[in-house]
Order: sequence, then C-alpha cells, then structure tokens
Amino acid sequence: MAAEEDGDVFEITDFTTASEWERFIARLEEVLHEWKLANRDPLPNVPKGKFTEGPWEEKNEEILFADFKFLINYTRLKPSASAEAESRSSREREDADDEQQDEHKPPTITNDIISMDNDFPSRAHCLCRWYGLQEFLVIQPAPNFGVIDSESRAKILESSAAIALSDSGCHVPVFIQLQQKWRKLYTGVAIVPGANISFEMSHLKKLPSKYLHLDGLLNMFKGKLGCEYVSMPPVSVSVRFTYILEDWIHCPWPQMPPDFFSFSEGEVGCSELDVLPFGACEDPVSELHLSCTWPYLSADMIVETSGYTDLDPLQAPQWSVRIQMTEDPQCLLGQLLRAFMELCTRTETTDEILGRLATEGTDPSEKDGGEDITNALQRLTEPNLPYHIPSLGSVVSRASSKLKIKPEEAPIPPNSLNKILQHLFPDATGLGGSQSQKGKGQNSKTRDSTPVEESPPHGSPERVEEVFNEALKQLRSAPPDSLTYRLAVCMAIINLNHGGLRAVAHLWQEFILEMRYRWENNILIPDLGASASNKPSSSSSTTSSSPSAPSASVPAPNLGSCLLHQKLQMLNCCIERKVKRESAGYGHEDTVLHEASSGVFESDTSTSQPDNDAVGGGTAARKVASVNGSTTDDEDDEFFECDDGDSDEVSEAGGKGGQRRISGDSTSPRRPGSGKKNLISEKSIDSYMSDSSFKDAALMKAEGRLAPMKNMRSLSTNEPLFIPVTQEPSPMTEDMLEEQAEVLAKLGSSAEGSQLRARMQSACLLSDMESFKAANPGCCLGDFVRWYSPRDFIEEEEEDGEEKEEEERNEKNISRQCSRTEEEDGRNSASEEASGERPEDSEKDANCEAKIDSPKAADGKKSPASEEIPPQATAKASSSETSSDQDHVSSHCRPQRGHLSQRMQIPGNMWVEVWQSARHIPARRQKRLFDDTKEAEKVLHFLSGLRPSELVLHLLPMVIHASVLKLAEKEDPDVPVLKTLTDQVISKAVKVTRWPHPPEVKRYEDVIRMIELAETVSSRSKSLKTKFTRDLLEKGKAEEELHNFVSSLLQQPEVDVRGGAYGPAGSAIHKLFSAAQKAALMILEDEESTGEDAAAQPEQMKPASTVHDFPSPSAREYILRALIPRPAPYSRVLPQRMYCVLVDGDYRLAGAFCSDTTFQ
Amino acid sequence: MEEQEILTTLKILIIGESGVGKSSLLLRFTDDTFDPEQAATIGVDFKVKTLSVDGNKAKLAIWDTAGQERFRTLTPSYYRGAQGVILVYDVSSKQSFTKLDAWLSELETFATKHDMIKMLVGNKIDKEKREVSKEEGLKFARKHHMLFIEASAKTKEGVQCAFEELVEKIIQTPGLWETSGHSLRLDAEGGQASSNCYCVV
Ligand SMILES: Nc1nc2c(ncn2[C@@H]2O[C@H](COP(=O)(O)OP(=O)(O)OP(=O)(O)O)[C@@H](O)[C@H]2O)c(=O)[nH]1
Ligand SMILES: [Mg+2]
Repeated sequence: MAAEEDGDVFEITDFTTASEWERFIARLEEVLHEWKLANRDPLPNVPKGKFTEGPWEEKNEEILFADFKFLINYTRLKPSASAEAESRSSREREDADDEQQDEHKPPTITNDIISMDNDFPSRAHCLCRWYGLQEFLVIQPAPNFGVIDSESRAKILESSAAIALSDSGCHVPVFIQLQQKWRKLYTGVAIVPGANISFEMSHLKKLPSKYLHLDGLLNMFKGKLGCEYVSMPPVSVSVRFTYILEDWIHCPWPQMPPDFFSFSEGEVGCSELDVLPFGACEDPVSELHLSCTWPYLSADMIVETSGYTDLDPLQAPQWSVRIQMTEDPQCLLGQLLRAFMELCTRTETTDEILGRLATEGTDPSEKDGGEDITNALQRLTEPNLPYHIPSLGSVVSRASSKLKIKPEEAPIPPNSLNKILQHLFPDATGLGGSQSQKGKGQNSKTRDSTPVEESPPHGSPERVEEVFNEALKQLRSAPPDSLTYRLAVCMAIINLNHGGLRAVAHLWQEFILEMRYRWENNILIPDLGASASNKPSSSSSTTSSSPSAPSASVPAPNLGSCLLHQKLQMLNCCIERKVKRESAGYGHEDTVLHEASSGVFESDTSTSQPDNDAVGGGTAARKVASVNGSTTDDEDDEFFECDDGDSDEVSEAGGKGGQRRISGDSTSPRRPGSGKKNLISEKSIDSYMSDSSFKDAALMKAEGRLAPMKNMRSLSTNEPLFIPVTQEPSPMTEDMLEEQAEVLAKLGSSAEGSQLRARMQSACLLSDMESFKAANPGCCLGDFVRWYSPRDFIEEEEEDGEEKEEEERNEKNISRQCSRTEEEDGRNSASEEASGERPEDSEKDANCEAKIDSPKAADGKKSPASEEIPPQATAKASSSETSSDQDHVSSHCRPQRGHLSQRMQIPGNMWVEVWQSARHIPARRQKRLFDDTKEAEKVLHFLSGLRPSELVLHLLPMVIHASVLKLAEKEDPDVPVLKTLTDQVISKAVKVTRWPHPPEVKRYEDVIRMIELAETVSSRSKSLKTKFTRDLLEKGKAEEELHNFVSSLLQQPEVDVRGGAYGPAGSAIHKLFSAAQKAALMILEDEESTGEDAAAQPEQMKPASTVHDFPSPSAREYILRALIPRPAPYSRVLPQRMYCVLVDGDYRLAGAFCSDTTFQ
Repeated sequence: MEEQEILTTLKILIIGESGVGKSSLLLRFTDDTFDPEQAATIGVDFKVKTLSVDGNKAKLAIWDTAGQERFRTLTPSYYRGAQGVILVYDVSSKQSFTKLDAWLSELETFATKHDMIKMLVGNKIDKEKREVSKEEGLKFARKHHMLFIEASAKTKEGVQCAFEELVEKIIQTPGLWETSGHSLRLDAEGGQASSNCYCVV
C-alpha cells in the first residue's frame, strides 16, 4: 500500500526526524493503551436505531509530531448497560469454554461495515453514517496548526498509525482528517488479525455522468475491488432517495404581519393596545424532506440507469420525513418582548429624550414619512380642537405646555394619545359609556382573553383558567384587570409598533402627569385591584371587637405584586386619605358624628367594598362632570349606607352619650371614683390619668367613638366601653418596609435594641391608646387590653400555671365577686335600658350577634361586669414598696373579672409606659401617622425619576404575565410539549419576578427566550396542522394517526411514516408533492387548469405517471456491500463496502476495502 | 471547627397568634433563658444567632413578629426573602391552632421565596391543660408539607432542635439560599443533631 515515494521519504529521513517519528508512534501506542483499546475483545453488534439515539462518548488527547500538534479523538457509541453486562458475561463464558472460538469471532470493525441494521441513521457522526462504525479514532491537526493538504504527509501519518495499531493489537480504525475541516475528508486504516482495511474517500464537485446511477456505481465498486471478472458474487444494495417539498401549494402561511400603519392613521381600537401579538410572520416550516429507503436490495434484481429506474418512491418500503424549519420565523410576541427588553440598554432619561425631541423635532430624518403625512392631515382637519375629552384634555394640554412639544411633533400624535389615555383610564371617559363600563367590569378574564383576533384560541378553557389562576397567584406582577397591567402591555405594544423609545417616554410622561393631576384634584386612580394584605384579620371571627386592620375601600399596597403596582396603590391610598381628610372638615360642631361617618370606612370589610367606585367615580364625576351620575348627595348617602346600622347607632349613641354627660349626668363617671375611694389612693388615680385629674377625665366629653364593645364595661368607670375610631395604619410599599426593616435590624439583638425597636414601632400603639382614652374617658389599661389584646386579659375562671401565685384571698374575693355579679346582672341591664333614651333594639341586636359568633362574648356573659370593686386584697397585693404605680393600674382593674396577663404587668413594660404617656385625643386630632402629602410626593418623585430603561424593568413582570396568558390561550392540546413549555415559562417567570430587587435583565432574557421557543413551537404546530389536515385524508378515520404524525414531527428529528406511501400520512404527503409538481408543471407548460381534486385523483390511477408526482430526488444515497476475497482470488473472503451520496454539486464516495494480509 | 467561616445568612421568621410564646421561644433559643416577664411584642423584634448544623455554620437573622392583629398590617413585609418560617401555636389554646390556616394563607401571599421551609411548632407542652393533641398538630403539618415539633419555651424541650432542624432543611434545599463564598460542607459528623429529634416532614 505504501508507495515508493513514501519509502523514499522514510529513507532520506535523518536520525532526528526518525526519532520524532518513532516518538510519535510510541505516544500513539501509549494513548491506545491508556484508553484500553489495545487487545480488546470485539464489541457486540449495535441494535437497530441506536446510532441516532446515542449516547456517544468521546475522549481527546494531544500528540506532538516534532513541533506539530495533533489532536487524537476517540468516539464511540456508549453501550447500553445491558449490552455491556452481556458482553462481559459472554467474555467470561468464552474464556472458560474455548480459546479457539475467540479467534473466530470477527473484530468489531468488520461486523460494523457489513451490518445492515443501521443504514442511514437520521443523526450521527459522518464517519458513522458513511461506514457504519460504532467506534473510531480521528487524528487531526490541532487548531491553528494548519491543515494536512499533502498526500505525503497524510501517508506518513497513516502508516505511523498503522504501525501503532498493529504493535498494540488495536482493531479500532484510525482516520486522518485531510484538508479543511468542513470538507469532512478522511483517509483511514484499520488493522485486524490477518487483514487490514483501508478507508478511502473522494469528495467531488462533479461526477462523470456514467457514475450518476446505481449501474455506474456498481461498476466502479467492482473495479475498485479488482474483480471485474465474471463470477462476481452478489452485491447487496441499500438505497435512499430524498425528495424535498418546498412549495406548500394549498396552504400558504395564513398569518399576516400586523398592520403597522393602522395606528398612526388613527384607526386604533382598544384591542390593539391590550392584545399582544402572537405567531410567526413567516411560515416557520420551510421544507419537508421525504426519504424513501430500499433496504437490502440485491444488485441483480434492480436496475437504475440514466434511462430507466426501478426505484419508484411510491414503491419504497420505508418512508421517513423530516421537517426543515425556518431559521428565524420572526415570531411576533418574541419580537415585541425583545424590542421592549432592548430599551433596558438605553441610558437616556425621559427628559433627555423628550427634550431632544423638542429641539430636534423638526429633523425629518427622525420621523418616518407616514407619520408626517398623518400629522399634516391632522393639522388640516383638526386645527383647533385636537382633543375631545374634557377630562383628559386638561391634562394633555398641560402636558404639551410643559413638554414644549407642539402636538404635531409629539412622538405619539395627539389623537392617538387620547385614545391610549382613554384606554388606560376608562373612568375618565366622557363619551363612550361602553368603555367606562368595560373599565368597571371586574371580570378580567373576559377582558383579557377575548380579543378580536385572526384565529380563535385553541387552548381549552379549563387550561386557560388554570394558567390564569396560577399566574395570578404566583407571579409578582399585577392583576390582569389592573391599570398597571394595562399600562405595561400598552407600553410594549407602543414601543414595537408606534414609535419606540420616544413614544414610550412620551406616554410615560403623560402617565405621570395624569397621576399628578389625579392627586391634586382628588380623583382616585382606577383599577388598582383589591387588597390581599389583611386577609387573615378579616377572616378572624373576633374582629368585631378587637382592632383588626381596617380594610379601606382603597387597598393598601399589595406586597405580593410588583413594586410599580405597589407605588400606584400607594398613591391611590394617599388620594383617598386626602379626600377623607378634606371632607372630614375641621371646626364642625358635631365632630363625633362626623368622625363616625368617616370612620365607616373602617367599620366593615364586606360593606365598604363598593366605596371604591362610589368615591372614585363620584369625585371624578364632580370634577370632570362625567356621566357617572352620582351626585354629591348620593355620595353622602353612600357614606351612611355602608354603615351597617350598628355603627350608625353608635354614632348617634355616641353623640347623645357625650351630650348626656356634659349636660350634668355626672353620677356615673363619678361613681367608680367614689366607690373606690377607700381602696385606691389618689396617687394611683393620677398615675393613669397622667395629664388631667380624675375628675376632669370623668367630665371629659367622649370623642371619636366608633362602636360599642359588645357587653363590655369599663373596669374603672363601669361605663360601656366603646371602640374608638382609630387612625388607619400607614400603608407601605415594599421598599419602604425594607428600609424600615434595615433600620430596625441595625439596632442589634441586645435587650436595649429590642426596647428601642419597640419604642420606634409604638407610634401606632400610642395613637390607638389615645383614641381609646378619648372614646372612653376614665378607662384603664385593662379596658384597653381587653379590646386590643384579649388574650392578655385573664378572666378569673382561667387558671394558668403562671397565675398560681395569685393570692388565695384574692381568688376568694373574685369568686365572691362573681356570685354577686350574677345577681346584679339583670338589674344592671334593666337600669341601662331604662336610662337609654335611644331605642336599644339595635344595640341588643349587636349583643346577640356577638354572642353567636364569638365564644368569648358568651364567656363574658357568664361573668359580666360588676359595679362594685372588691378592694382590699388587691390594694394590699400591690402595696409593696418597689412596685410602682403601674401595679395599681392593673390591680385596680383586676377584681372585676380577671386581671392582666403577667407580661402586661411587668413594671416599666412598653405597654404600660405608652399607656401612661397617652393623652385623651381622638384620632382626628392626633398627629397624622401617615403623611399622605409627603408619601404622594415621594411616589410621584419615584415615578418621574424613572428612566425608560428602568421603567421597562418595572413593567416587564406584567408583560411577561401577559405573555404567559397568551401562551396558555394558544396552547394546542394535541401538542403536549406546548403545555410543558408553558409550565416551564411560568415557573421560570415566578422565580424571576420574585427575585429580590433589583431586577436583572439577564434573568428576564432567559424567560423571554423560553417564551420565544414556546411561540415558535406553537407556530410550527399550527403551520403543520394547516398543512396536514386539509382534506388530505380519504377516510376520516385516520385523523388520529395524522395528529400523532404531526405531533411527532415537532418532537423528533426524523419520523417514520407508518405504512409508507400507502399509510394515511404517506398518502397525504404524496398529495402534497403531486400538487406541488402539478403547479410547477402548469407554470412550465401552461396546461389547462383542472380542479385540485380532479388533479390529484386520476394521477393516482395511472401508476406509470407516479414518478412525475415527485421531483427528482435531491439526494441519493447508496450503500454497496459484498463479501469478496482480496487482494487475490485465493485470499480470504472479506467484507467490502462503498457508500455514495449524490447531491447536485456535492458528490462523495467513501469506501472501506479489506485485504487479506496472510494470503496475498 | 470554632473558627469556621460563616456559610450563609438565613432569614427566619416567627409568626402565630398573640401570646402563643413566639418571643419566649426565640429568647430560649438565643439566650437559653425563659423570662415570664416577656412583654408583648410591639411590631417586630429581631435577634441574631449563629448556628452550626452538619458542620455548616449559618448566621440566623430571626424576626419575631407581633401576633396582635393591630400590628399585622406591618408584618407581611418581613416575609420577604425569608428562607424559613416558624409558625407557632399554643397547645393549650385551641383557638391559636384554628387560626393557623389564616396564617398560612397570608404566608402564601407574601413570601417571595417559593420553596421556603415551613415549620409548625406546638408550644407550651409543659402546661397540663392541653387543648390540641400532638396528632392534630402532626396532621396539620403533614397536610401542609411542614416540619413539625412540639416544644416548651419554659422547659426548653424541643426548642434548640426546632431551629436546628429548620436550618438543616434550608441548607439541604438547593437554590433557597446563597453562600457567602464558601462551599457547603457535606461531612457527616453533624447528623446527630437531627437524630435525637422527632421532627416530621
Ligand atoms: N407555660 C408556658 N408558658 C409559656 C411558654 N412560652 C411562653 N409562655 C408564656 O406565654 C406568654 C406569652 O408569651 P410571649 O412569648 O410573649 O408570646 P408571643 O407569641 O411573643 O406574643 P406576641 O408578642 O403578643 O405575639 C408569656 O407570659 C410567656 O411567659 C411555655 O412554653 N410554657
Ligand atoms: Mg412576642
């Protein structure tokens, strides 16, 4: 094999190079040993289909030849676990059995090249494909070391390899890569016992026409083997023809690209602002490759020459199909998301963008022509009234004046801007009643998922619903019916279709102006969702008496939503507080009444719900004179109506009560004082009425009452207790809370730190205590605790471990007390009824209710308040030197029916301390806990400080949310992979949106990539479905089969067509091809146009013409195999193989030829 | 072992009805004392402690919240970013047990960490008057995929174990926490910390 030339090379080689060469061989052998390829037993045959499935494994090593670096690579199909076990056991068996058999077992390589089980794998290394190899070695120059382009160098390498192989007894073939890598040109050698195999290859642009058919190739094969003599043993042939279908005649891609110009022509409807585009612009499926395979043919039985062929694709026993997808099918949703993300890289501020616009606005290159024309038109048609909507008009004109943008120069033309703002703020619409209704409609699902669209969604309603709920629950974004969500989707659409960054900046500016306008003019912001923040408290049963978090009509920022949404909710809270504050009005005579009316907001969760619209709409209506129709009267009625009778009664009672006391009924407040006189020192009284004398307190007018506490009387005055109107807790957004947490954490974990922390957080407690004191003159801490923290008031029946130290006597007193109370109970309530001027019915009702829903209330009944205070014991108990005034406070309350929990009694504890410092001030006159003005300004500052790039990050959660819903809606139940993809997108999006800020662009990119993938797959499935369902089936029965076929096309690289040309999928494919052919011929020959159906059928009747149903094959592959003695007729019979692939302009012949080394 | 660097900082939250003994449990864990004079918590309180579990040292930032309704509007914010939460009820108070559902739903709404570890602790088992049986607690924990233990801040039973178990579980959950640069130690040696506990998942 080695030519003389090579021999010369070796001879003239001097010692140094010779030693390099030897070293190279030695190193090669070393590697072969290292990889355990030397003297190894043959591998088992590869099962069918395994080449494509894999897995394949690789090893790599570097080898130097002089200073030229080579890479050596070993690739092999990983044997399946069972095969490996089998081979091991068989090896053992053979070892034990018979040494001779081992010799007869053919080496892996000879098996591989003759095996017919794995011809034409759909995906495999080219060497595997061409030679059927399950393992091989490749030597190639290391990167940057050039290519092997001279024959002689190739020969040196090859013979070195051959020496290494035979020295080490390795039977794995070695290939040398020649020329550039992309040419995939190899020469190779394998050494097996008694024979060697040479792998030869040619790669040509052109092949003489006589070799273009099986006939010619057979001759070449025979010639190569040197046996053109007559007694040629049979050659077996496997053939595969591949046909490409490019023209999908009957199913052009249905999706039209969106009409980019409709918007600027002022034709925009809401659907275009809240419906994300979806689907591919181009057909995502470009070609169908049909491979027709004839395995195991005998060369004698088949004829293929230039003039005649037996190879009719319709007769091929195996059909398989692969789909060529369009590289970048331009998926609309993906494009929108990418374009939006792109803005994150922009660094300009809104002002910079709009400022530049103001100065450079006249630069024609900045605009596209379409816009100019519209603007010109606009100027002509509506020179004087660009705006129709009064409410927005004021805003927009302010905006323009502030931005110094002439309407015709604005990135968003005024007409469009109005429509967008109407869409965002449906409550401000003066004209379209339907629109405002739409805005009010609470059902977000109908809002979001019923867009006017080109194709109906295929997702099952249950699935859409499931995803909807899942996304709502898990994603940190904003509800789909919220303003924030609308804004985000709208921004993304505007960015893509209507002006990019400048339009986004412009709309954002307008949005902020609208926010400020609403703040300044007391108009609530619409659609900011319901609050979830006080779920547990509103569901608890004892709320009616204990101070639950009041649920206002405007929800506090929902910490489960994204920051931007929280900020807007915050602003709304500020507006609401401001409205309340201003409407509460200072200096009114009957402040109590007034307080009650505003306190209604806090009284009941269920009834105050409608307030949102009533207040917002009403206010807006007043300011804006819109159609809402609720007059001021209505509004006031609303205030009272949502008062559930109970508190209405309260306010009345409170008012009267207050008057009564003032009018001189001083006995009742005084009574406890006089009763206690002998028990409690003046000092102790002073101590809990810190800044006023007891008498003053008793005479003080009760203020800020909200509702009576069910059946509770003051421990100190025995007056009925009232729940005060309290200040609502300050709403907070997550960043505020985080800031606060940081401050609190900084105080450290020492006891002092804890104290300080408690003090810092006691503002709300103090305010509540002050309100309580104001509502209940003369009350004590025990009263407060019973309302505020009922578990910290231990009733006498309860006898906990810690309370055992209670003095015996004390307990006796209590029980005595108890029995007496029972007697007095009836009298007590009777007298109360008598003294009450107002009808008591409703109060009674309230009591009954309390009895039913709260076990605690029932307890209270058993041991109701008594007027008399039992005395000595407690006075003594607390009279020690060290115990200070607080003890008196608690002990003085104790005898009534219980006492404060131990933890509330600790001297100097924060509760007592705050109680002492609390003054009698109703909530209304207290310092505001929540400064709405400051907070509103902070929010507005935050909003206007956002650069567009930051804004985009804040809007992305909603845009992703909307995309997820879109995916669900477009999900095709027939393609299970789509469901999986959607679920993956959701779980990724949950992680990204919940990631503690700052949000990261990179993480969003990942999500967007996943959404794009899902969209692409969805478009492909849609495309394939339109291609494969259209009346291609003769019998409707096979529909199921076709579905499966389509869905496997999406998930596998190559799909077998069951039943070949005559299966349901096969005949569909046949029709597609023949239609395309027909069309092509029609163009060529301009034949008469027959109907489509008529065209397909007669074609099938005439078998002779079926060849013309297909184009000429784009690729033809042949594998020729034979068992032939070589090199001499008396040599051993050895396997020979030649693989040929004929593609126009790219021909490759790859032969593996064995020759006997014993009998040459 | 002592000089070992801190693997990570974990945020842990204690929630539950007022008076169930949240602050007492925390005090027992951090200072190993029981103070019957623990004042009712106002707002939130905060303590830090480092804990070694399975050879991994973790710094715990523990937020103790007030169970009082009035303070609750504030507390959900502290759920953010917490890796673990201890939900406490009082075995001598049925009412504190029935409120657990509400607490869980609040947690669900506000927690940012998706796979946050939840632990249910039935406190005050030293008390004679029991209203919630261990079985009820177990059943609830199982239903909601929580760790469960009964404890007493007063007698210190189960307290240390509860915190250790929680931290161990957090550290074993990938993606829930981030190292401060050091890799997780997986040597066995720890382990016995959990073996003598009777926590259940
Ligand atoms: N017997 C007994 N009492 C306990 C135990 N733990 C706490 N207590 C008592 O229960 C009362 C309430 O305990 P705290 O720790 O203040 O309760 P908390 O849950 O922090 O209450 P808030 O701060 O209001 O939410 C105190 O008087 C404690 O002494 C316990 O394990 N056994
Ligand atoms: Mg506490």
